[in-house]
Amino acid sequence: MNYHSAIVFGFNEYAKQIALQIAPEYPSFAVFVMNESERSAAKAAGFEAALFDLGEDWRVIDEKFDPNSLIVFCALDKDAENVFLTISLRSIFENLPIIALAGDHESAAKMKSAGANKVMATQQITANIITEMLEKPTVTEVLHDILYEQSFLKIAQITVPEKCFLVGKHLHEIDWGEEFDILVLAIVDHQLSATFSFTSKGHHHHIDPNDVLVVVGYDDSIAALSEAMGVVK
Amino acid sequence: MIGRWIVGIAFFLSASPRYRHSKKFFHNLLENPSYPYKKFFDYTMMILIVISVYILVHHVKYEVKPDWLFFNNYVISVIFLIEYLLRLWVYSDNSKAIIEQYEHDLFLQRPFKVLTVLHHIVLTKSKFIFSPSAIIDLLAIMPFFHEMRLLRVFILFRVFKLFRYTKSLQQFVSILSSKKFEFLTLGMFAGVIITVSSVLIYVMEANNPDSPINTLFEAVYWSVVTIFTVGYGDFVPVTSEGRMVAMVIIVAGIAVIAFSTSIVVSAFTEKLDEIKEDKLIDDVSKVDQFYLVCGYTPLAAQVAHRFLKTGKQVIIIETNHKKVAEAQKEGFLALNYNPASLHSYHAIRINFETQVIAAILLEESDVLNVYTALTIREISKNVQLLSILHHHENRRKLSLAGINEIVYTQELIGLMSKEVSGRPVAFEVIHALRSENSGVFIEEIVLDSIMANQFFETTKLTMFHKRLIVLGVYKQSSKSFFFNPSNSLLVEEGDVAIVVGTRSLIDEFKSLMRRKKRR
Repeated sequence: MNYHSAIVFGFNEYAKQIALQIAPEYPSFAVFVMNESERSAAKAAGFEAALFDLGEDWRVIDEKFDPNSLIVFCALDKDAENVFLTISLRSIFENLPIIALAGDHESAAKMKSAGANKVMATQQITANIITEMLEKPTVTEVLHDILYEQSFLKIAQITVPEKCFLVGKHLHEIDWGEEFDILVLAIVDHQLSATFSFTSKGHHHHIDPNDVLVVVGYDDSIAALSEAMGVVK
Repeated sequence: MIGRWIVGIAFFLSASPRYRHSKKFFHNLLENPSYPYKKFFDYTMMILIVISVYILVHHVKYEVKPDWLFFNNYVISVIFLIEYLLRLWVYSDNSKAIIEQYEHDLFLQRPFKVLTVLHHIVLTKSKFIFSPSAIIDLLAIMPFFHEMRLLRVFILFRVFKLFRYTKSLQQFVSILSSKKFEFLTLGMFAGVIITVSSVLIYVMEANNPDSPINTLFEAVYWSVVTIFTVGYGDFVPVTSEGRMVAMVIIVAGIAVIAFSTSIVVSAFTEKLDEIKEDKLIDDVSKVDQFYLVCGYTPLAAQVAHRFLKTGKQVIIIETNHKKVAEAQKEGFLALNYNPASLHSYHAIRINFETQVIAAILLEESDVLNVYTALTIREISKNVQLLSILHHHENRRKLSLAGINEIVYTQELIGLMSKEVSGRPVAFEVIHALRSENSGVFIEEIVLDSIMANQFFETTKLTMFHKRLIVLGVYKQSSKSFFFNPSNSLLVEEGDVAIVVGTRSLIDEFKSLMRRKKRR
């Protein structure tokens, strides 16, 4: 899914880092904050922020953005405020992709119930990274390169087009590494669904149109496979 | 002349590495509870004591084979004697005392006083000789002369000797000794009551022909048996006056028992925290390898849970006792010490070089983490340090404090947000792999020479082909990652393979790589 606009709610350290990372990716980007101090912090970081309160009716979003190509990040200071913001956005925009930050598992569950599409539990993520860095330093390094660095190796998700040559085949029929120099980590039925299955758990999956393949490979190999599959850029 | 010889010998011994090494070895073996081999020595001595007591008890009524008697009378007693002499030797450093006295006299430009230093040495050694444990040690050697019937009583001291090797018994004695004053008061009270009642009962009963109490010894015996509420009934007062005395002593007896019970209970209550802490420190010293978490926060709890899930040991150090209690309630091994203090690590007796895999600094401020890092670096230059970073501008300060890995969660979340908005499924896949909750794992396998040789051949086996994803090989020699490697890549010992698969498949892969070579 390609989004044209993004909004970050809040401007603490987390929100600041999110804004710095995603702002260049979207033609239209905005920061909404709850108080003047956050507004000045945003300004100092180079962002013009608008004020809001939790009782908003969110007409401003309708006026300034197209909700169908908008993605929002809820990164307020308190988990309770984030839950309230999420639920209030969801009550108005049924299909708006909402990504929310939560401190712990308990808050993460509440955010999910409030209607967030993705919840990033900061403590859990940090704990995962810390243990991984100490127990599997090479994995950490390689994944970091694949995900965040400008290396030639990339992780990508490719949606299977209607008339793709893969349609009707089983995953195990194809030697992805040999034929395309890519590795298929997982397959999923619909893009925003969380129901993916790892290929390591079984290859009996039948490839259908609109399935999504999560692949790792070099830029060139991924591009070659996409072209062979008939993916329209 | 003698003085010069003594000083010469002292300097020689002080400079001799062999002598110092031997003395240190025996000191550790006999006195250092954290020395790994001490427990073996203690167990051996305990076994010898048990054998010896068994032989001596058995010998009271039955014949014992001459070999066993020889073993008990000579071998065990000689071992005990050697141990006693070694303890006497390591108790103090004579050569150091001689050199200090010599240098002191030299500085004051006066002749070396041999007698002063000898007096000092004798005084120091006699402190050991007259200590209760050394007296028991010495008396425990005595069954050597077991042929003399009277000396058989020294068998008791062999049993007492067990105290030296059993920490819980030592603790018990030390707890009771903390209430010396109370026990002394109780003893005096009981002594006065026994004396008065013995005299009274003797006066009241001795002249009565029907009374069984006829001597002062019988009177004292009756008083002791009564005051401690045993009351055998073999001696009973028959006169009314005697019975009056009995009533008073019975009431006093209850007071004595109640008083002594309360002393013991209060001593244990007061020392309970100390005992628990000692036990925890003991437990820590027994853990071979662990992650040291400094500061108990919600993040620390998550990290500890994850390590425990993978079978790794974690020790938490936290200043706040409420947080320590919380951590212990969660089932973690947590100690109430300040992670930023050198004293803490000395008290806990942590060996950073051999026990600590890495120290993880998770305090709630960068200031505390830097301070803790510098403290740990003072003890160990090599231990791996990982710290959480709270404010971006402090990153360099953490690096300067010697922290090897810095985790800045906010930046990480920023990067992930980009990922989750651009490639949500890919993000989910990687997150699921990292959280290890999906049943599929990403693992790194450090290849030894056998595994390196068999690597490609094993990946081609039907059970792994297309099921185990070999993401790539990290070559140590070139420090580069080779994605989806082909047979042409030279895989060597020390290289790291990164694979994705189920736990059982990965384990089987590792085991088959090693097994194939042996065939």
